[in-house]
Amino acid sequence: MLVMRRRAGESILIGDDIEIQIIQIGESRIKIGITAPRSVAVTTKEVHLVRQENLAAAQLQSVAALRHMLDRLIDGSADAEK
Amino acid sequence: MFPDGIPAFEQERSFLPIRQPHNEPLVFLQSLSTPELCFVTLPAQSVCPGFQLNMTSEDLHALGLAADRQPTVGRDVLCLFILSLEENAPPTANLLAPIVVNLETMRARQAIQTDSSYSHRERLPLREAACS
Repeated sequence: MLVMRRRAGESILIGDDIEIQIIQIGESRIKIGITAPRSVAVTTKEVHLVRQENLAAAQLQSVAALRHMLDRLIDGSADAEK
Repeated sequence: MFPDGIPAFEQERSFLPIRQPHNEPLVFLQSLSTPELCFVTLPAQSVCPGFQLNMTSEDLHALGLAADRQPTVGRDVLCLFILSLEENAPPTANLLAPIVVNLETMRARQAIQTDSSYSHRERLPLREAACS
């Protein structure tokens, strides 16, 4: 990973048309401004992970898979009680 | 009931929660616009009684909840974890982004938790440390 040090007000350029500006630095969070072409999706990593996970969860349709999952759950709770 | 849908399914605005006695405590979230879309979820209280919500002010506002405190699971809101299953792996629950339903208005949202120590893929059964 490339690591750069920047102060508030300074920027980083990625390629020719993406700019990331450090707007404000707080105690535990920073505010950044992103300028990018409309074709580039900008999202937080958490939203991206949740998106992928929702797509995976939506595939959970077959009764067999569900049954299997239920059995695993029941096994799991049985183990916990031992 | 989901004014903004959920990530990857932004157009899905209505889900019907279904419980089946033989599949307790699972709650099925059936899309009312796409018959083949159904999420399998678990109520937070059934697997993780100590689960603490940590919602953003944006999410609280979107659900019409008080902005100055986190809602109480079971009293103010229903909190569901979406389950997912990969082959040859234990099922996982998304504790990073639970479905939160305002019990008064039935408005719902998938609320990505802030400062969350929970993962979007917590293995079931949940480790006790995750829920204390």
